[in-house]
Amino acid sequence: MRILAKISTTVLLVVLVGLSVLRPASSAGSLSILMEPDGSGIWRELFADFHRKNPDIEVELVEGPPSTNTREDMYSTAFLAGSGGFDVVYGDVVWVPKFAAAGWLLDLTDRLSADDLQDFLPADLEGGTYEGRLYRIPAFTDAGLLFYRKDLVPEPPSTFEELRTYAKQYKNPDRWGFLWQGKQYEGLVTVFLEVLWGHGGDWIDPATRTVHLDEPEAIRALAFMVDLIGNESPPGVTTHTEEDTRNLFQSGHAVFLRNWLYVWRLADQGGAIKKDQVGFTAMVHEPNRKSAATLGGWGFAISRFTKNPEAAWRLVEFLARSDSLAQVQQRVGLIPARKSQVPAEFLPILLNARPRPAIPEYAQASDILQRSLSAALTGRVSPDEALREAARQTRLLLQSE
Amino acid sequence: MKTIRTPSVLWALPAAILIAGVLVYPALRALLLSFSHYGLSTAFETRFAGIDNFRRLLGDSRFHSSFAVTALFVAVSVVLEFFLGLGLALAASRLIRGQKIARTLLLIPWTLPTAVTGVLWAWILNDQFGILNYVLAKAGVLDQPIAWLAQPAPALASVIAVDVWKTVPFVFLILLAGLQSIPSELYEAIAVDGGGAWAAFRYVTWPHLVPFAFIALIFRIIQAFAIFDLVYVLTGGGPGGATETISVYAYQTTMRYLDFSYGATIAVALVAVLAVIAVTLRLVLREAE
Repeated sequence: MRILAKISTTVLLVVLVGLSVLRPASSAGSLSILMEPDGSGIWRELFADFHRKNPDIEVELVEGPPSTNTREDMYSTAFLAGSGGFDVVYGDVVWVPKFAAAGWLLDLTDRLSADDLQDFLPADLEGGTYEGRLYRIPAFTDAGLLFYRKDLVPEPPSTFEELRTYAKQYKNPDRWGFLWQGKQYEGLVTVFLEVLWGHGGDWIDPATRTVHLDEPEAIRALAFMVDLIGNESPPGVTTHTEEDTRNLFQSGHAVFLRNWLYVWRLADQGGAIKKDQVGFTAMVHEPNRKSAATLGGWGFAISRFTKNPEAAWRLVEFLARSDSLAQVQQRVGLIPARKSQVPAEFLPILLNARPRPAIPEYAQASDILQRSLSAALTGRVSPDEALREAARQTRLLLQSE
Repeated sequence: MKTIRTPSVLWALPAAILIAGVLVYPALRALLLSFSHYGLSTAFETRFAGIDNFRRLLGDSRFHSSFAVTALFVAVSVVLEFFLGLGLALAASRLIRGQKIARTLLLIPWTLPTAVTGVLWAWILNDQFGILNYVLAKAGVLDQPIAWLAQPAPALASVIAVDVWKTVPFVFLILLAGLQSIPSELYEAIAVDGGGAWAAFRYVTWPHLVPFAFIALIFRIIQAFAIFDLVYVLTGGGPGGATETISVYAYQTTMRYLDFSYGATIAVALVAVLAVIAVTLRLVLREAE
């Protein structure tokens, strides 16, 4: 009986969940979009505003879980089911190649006006492009920065050598030299890419699908990171994500911090450390190499299965307009991906940001890299072995079909 | 009066259609997929693959690692669950009063949906705000909080511990039913013959309990081998794949990498392993009987 009860409960749950996911196919004039939880309510306000200006179109906001990967999988599942899913995609920059290659997004290349084309940051446009066609309209940009304690470090470092020297010089038993995100997750890839590019190396060339991970520059880059652990960076750095490192930095436990733009906005809400004690600069590089920030950020795309491509475009156009973006910026602090709206102090770094490789197999390639990086950072294998293995697996992945 | 006899096959038809639709068709489709290439890389067109996928499986270090994780998980969790469940069942069967209350209380973890259990424990085990670290620190056991789910060995241990917490009641319930089916005269007889507690367990309790123990074990081993939801919610398979089971890998391959044929291949391999285990257990059971 108990088993029976358990089974029937399970069946009931499945049915209920199923019903909540399977919404009726959107009728003409209704659009649905999946986003992160709208904690501040700004999106609902924008959608209401849109509805006032476009009374024939109603927007249904589906608030998904905060985890980016989970929402990516929810979009995938909806697309695999075909029609009846979401009309508009609010997507991370790394989703574009996969969704575009699968044929799930509408080509928006010819929709964007010349003015917008000029105004959006080039890296963000590139991040929304797959095989020469634009599938995602940029909305908010993000990039990795190197924050430092202005009150300690006399001038921002520009090379890895200087970074280490300052980190060594100003660390003490209560203050680490350099914090970054070393847990095995996408964040680690973005940190590694900045160090890798600063060493003159590369990961995957999306055009030729060539893998560069086992080249000497890459091995030097990873060796640099491994060498930091226990010296300038705490052993716990291999479990750190953005917030762990920001909290440590803002409570005064570090000289340098690699993190994203949002830290600057929160620099005044920190604990012990005030904003005037903090400065930021681009990630450092080897002498005679160039540094580059990893591009993050969000944008809007349109599902190929939508019954209402025109209405969907009107919504996307409305949301990507400067005044809509400005409202979101004001409320939750995201930085609009428009040159005209980016705070001037960020512009040089953002103009230099680079997207991650635009390949459909990105999620898998990233998982391979994350595992190998993590194995090297936790001392299980040498940087050399780790990257050779990652390169081997990535080549296998990219050559299959 | 004339009775109209409906052919019994008709009565079975609705059930047969249901099973064909939700069980036989997906199983056959998965089997077919495992001999094809189908997914994002083929632009969702089916291509015949022969045994390519299975060859890839043999050389896939991530599959090997998820297999090892799963095997370790099954071995440790099922053994713990079995002995804890047996101990609790023996203890509860002695209770003269309060047996029903004890039984009900012990069943609570099992009645919670696994996803809820996962979220619950993710908070208990949280390194910054979790109550476990708080209690251990207050008790003076820890000077520094442990990131239970962020390091490979503690993460796998945590997943095992939560699974044990959740499924001991299942083993307990089945074994308790077994214990209650033993006629009390047998215990009286062995007491008359001068047998002690061990003799009673060895010659009365255990022989009667064997069939129940096998049922509990078969259910637990099969469920544990296919474990997905608890791991997915608690650790997502991380860190570093330290808790990635075969099912989680199959899910990632199918839903994230959109490689349906290889995901199906992993699932087929999992079913093959389970079939071998089930047949082995059956043979052992026949032997024991």
